[in-house]
Amino acid sequence: MAATEHEVVRSELRWAAAVSVFVVIIFGLTLFAALALHRNPPSNLERIDPKTLHLTGEFTEPNLGTRVEQNGQVTTRIVATQFAFIPPCVVVPADREVTLRLASPDMIHGILVSGTNVNTMVVPGYVSQVHTVFRTTGNLLMPCHEFCGLGHSQMLARVHVVPAQDFRPDAEGRVSCEAQ
Amino acid sequence: MKHNRNLVLAHLWLAFAVFAIAAVFGVWLMWVRSPLHAPYENPQNYFRSVTLHGVSMAYVLTTFFAMGFGYFVAETALGRDIPGIRWAWAAFVAGAIGAVMAALTVLAGDASVLYTFYPPLTASPLFYIGLVLVVGGSWVWCTIMIVAMTQWKRANPGLAVPLAMFATVANAIMWLWTTVGVAAELLFQVIPAALGWTDTVDVGMSRTLFSWTLHAIVYFWLLPAYIAFYTMAPEAAGGRLYSDTMGRLTFVLFLLYSLPVGLHHLFMDPEHSTGFKFVQTALTALVTVPTLLTVFTITASFEVAGRLNGGTGLFGWLRALPWRQPMVLATGLAFFMLWFGGGGGLINMSYGMNAMIHNTSWVTAHFHLIFGGTVVIMYFAIAYQIWPQLTGRVADADDLAQQRWQLWLWAVGMMVMTLPWHWLGLEGQWRRVAHFDYDDPLIAWWASWVDLSLLGGVILLISASLFIVNLARLHARQPAGRAGPQPLRYAVPLHPITRLPAALNGFALWNVLVLVLMAAAYGWPVGQFIAQPSPAAIVHHVDRPS
Amino acid sequence: MDRKWRVWGTLGVLAALAVGGLLGFIVLPVVQGRAAGIDAFTAICRAVGILPGSPARPTPPYHAEPQPVTKVAWTTATFEELYRADRANGARLAGERCISCHTLEGNTPDPTIPRNIGQSVFALYKQLHDFRSGSRVNETMSPLVKDLDDKQIADLAAYYGRLFRGAIDPDVSGRYAGIDIQNIVSNGDVARGLPPCSACHATRAGGPIETPTLTGQYAQYLEAQLKAFASGARHNDIYHRMRSVAAKLTSNEIRLLAIQYSGE
Repeated sequence: MAATEHEVVRSELRWAAAVSVFVVIIFGLTLFAALALHRNPPSNLERIDPKTLHLTGEFTEPNLGTRVEQNGQVTTRIVATQFAFIPPCVVVPADREVTLRLASPDMIHGILVSGTNVNTMVVPGYVSQVHTVFRTTGNLLMPCHEFCGLGHSQMLARVHVVPAQDFRPDAEGRVSCEAQ
Repeated sequence: MKHNRNLVLAHLWLAFAVFAIAAVFGVWLMWVRSPLHAPYENPQNYFRSVTLHGVSMAYVLTTFFAMGFGYFVAETALGRDIPGIRWAWAAFVAGAIGAVMAALTVLAGDASVLYTFYPPLTASPLFYIGLVLVVGGSWVWCTIMIVAMTQWKRANPGLAVPLAMFATVANAIMWLWTTVGVAAELLFQVIPAALGWTDTVDVGMSRTLFSWTLHAIVYFWLLPAYIAFYTMAPEAAGGRLYSDTMGRLTFVLFLLYSLPVGLHHLFMDPEHSTGFKFVQTALTALVTVPTLLTVFTITASFEVAGRLNGGTGLFGWLRALPWRQPMVLATGLAFFMLWFGGGGGLINMSYGMNAMIHNTSWVTAHFHLIFGGTVVIMYFAIAYQIWPQLTGRVADADDLAQQRWQLWLWAVGMMVMTLPWHWLGLEGQWRRVAHFDYDDPLIAWWASWVDLSLLGGVILLISASLFIVNLARLHARQPAGRAGPQPLRYAVPLHPITRLPAALNGFALWNVLVLVLMAAAYGWPVGQFIAQPSPAAIVHHVDRPS
Repeated sequence: MDRKWRVWGTLGVLAALAVGGLLGFIVLPVVQGRAAGIDAFTAICRAVGILPGSPARPTPPYHAEPQPVTKVAWTTATFEELYRADRANGARLAGERCISCHTLEGNTPDPTIPRNIGQSVFALYKQLHDFRSGSRVNETMSPLVKDLDDKQIADLAAYYGRLFRGAIDPDVSGRYAGIDIQNIVSNGDVARGLPPCSACHATRAGGPIETPTLTGQYAQYLEAQLKAFASGARHNDIYHRMRSVAAKLTSNEIRLLAIQYSGE
């Protein structure tokens, strides 16, 4: 047992140093991911008016879903609204970088894609953007995970991850579940 | 403990009564979510109940408990009546009216917006005004706490403010700083929308203002438990507080670093930049330190107690501790749950891992475990400890046995409820859902784990009921011939305090540093909405037909 | 002793901020930007939050023409128009154009023509506007509203409708069409991803602004509209809100839901 207050404080400081090292290591993982793997939390800060979202070019209905842009980038655009995602089913290629862009014309929504690190809020006023590579093929669940009203429990979309050879864009570069 | 008695009892009974009612709703909610068919199951009822459960547990139980316990500490630790007792009563009445207003609007179905509000969903203005009254009442409490400590220091120059009061005032100051966020959100955005004065709301700004409050509020809930760890548990264990100085430093660190970290609740939000999220992650890493310090200090204090009680060897002191004392038992159970809850917190703070669990059941499980578990079990222990002082009725061996049963049931129920819940969250079960499609092969296997969680919830409800019964027992008349309760003794430090720096006896320096931290961490994150407002979203009223 | 605490306390806080800030605002964005081909200044501005976008990724391009399904946008300006609408003028216009099918009260006798009485002002405004813009097509309505301006449409909507949905919209309607239909109305069907009807079509639901009142509407009309949404023939619902719902319903459910809401 510590005989003096001085020894008490020293033992506390030794402990504080030890736990600080532990916390720094955990924090260091985040730093490593940011520096070496260039991972960031989804922070797009791109503003868009929710009230006129349906009148825009990028988020007009025919432009939603997966499209391979001219520079080869695979972009999937989804609108989250009360109480469905449009399109409710999207196709993405495996082992290739995919950019998901989401917007909401009304409430706060949010998505996760089961079994992946895709997770973002969809806040009216902003375009949410997530980059990922889908490693395993299959049918993934993409529910709305933020309370958006009384129909929240039924708001679900599906993500079909297909192998590269099955990912066949049409003339406009679009790939949809119906066409598969 | 003559003068404050009714004031403290009023606050604590309101807190616990609301807690008990909310616990019943909690079990029903888990029942609805499970594959079992629950009565009255529909989205209107579900979300109305989630709102009621959340508001009751997060705002009413906590605020009134902190206030009541604070009044108790102020009188007993400082040995004088609290200043402004009429103000204290007025604040209680205003807060109680506010709580009832909020509860009634939620029950009527006019406020199904959850305890996090989520504009553009907009409830009845009475709901928000009710909560403003609760917060306003708590600001009166903060003022009284600060004035009480200031007056005591003036009357006792050069003396160390008793740790229990120092920590209570730290909590009060932290509460004042943190409620600015939600107050601004309600007063400038949500209530004008609810009243129909505005048609749109800047959702980015409202989420940010709410996040300002969202982290330090959990420490507001937590600090009373820590006050019990430092100033009551060592005494109940028959020992001394290992280090009074580190205790003070712990509460100072909470005041500093629980405030500028709210953005970690918005890691997955698009309206904040990577830079500010990173800075607040770094600061969040710092707020883990006081909890880790507490684990060491209290464990060391318990070791002192155990050895004073005759324990020898590396772990013999553990067995020698008086576990039959509810306060000691609760501390042990709280620390056990703290490993899981705190570990979960470390994961939440790392935004790479956060991406795996954001808005899944993991989050719900985490805060039920860390708050419902570690913190609320200490609320029970504090109540058991101070009730004899309030009612004059000493707990006999039977009472103590019942108290221990109740505490064990709570801890077991909490683990049974939250461990499967954590697991399911990790597997992608998402939040705030009334209905899962258990026929879907992708999620069918969740069913038995959800049932297990429900069982945990039922155990918790039994424990909650037993808690109320135990408190009621302590109101019964004292049996004849039995001595009244001894006055409460706060834990004495291992070595007497010789010299205390002003920094550990007051908050002038820390308030300045909090201002610096908040300006740096939240200045632009809030300021950006004034400089470049987000395109606003249309308000959706949930309290009227249109 | 006091001074030591002041100094070290302040230094500690400033150090924490400095380390976090240096890493978060300078080091991370510069390193990430370099790998993504974004210049340091832009990357730093993005990391601070002055510019939109991520410091680690360029924003994807797009080339798409807007093809909106409706020209109506619920902005403050639109709301102002409706709040300031002139009901007397609406009555006059109704007497000229609407009376022969919808009657002046809005309680139309023909079951294929919708009742307007007590309908949501926002729903009426949107449908009239959509008829005029061609977003919704009906051989009777389209020519009738072609020459109306926004203000006249607002006046008409305000005349027939009520600013708050009328008393004919209780949460559950009169006639009982069976437990399965009741269930779809109150609870939806999570297996199909079908939200409950009352998640939008009920008082205090907080759903989309243009949600119409269904209760007391003619079953024939409701059934026709649901079928039109299901096939995509009617497509003026923003972001498929009704098309996605109607497509998940069977024809029998559509028929029974229409009966449930009509109360007939």
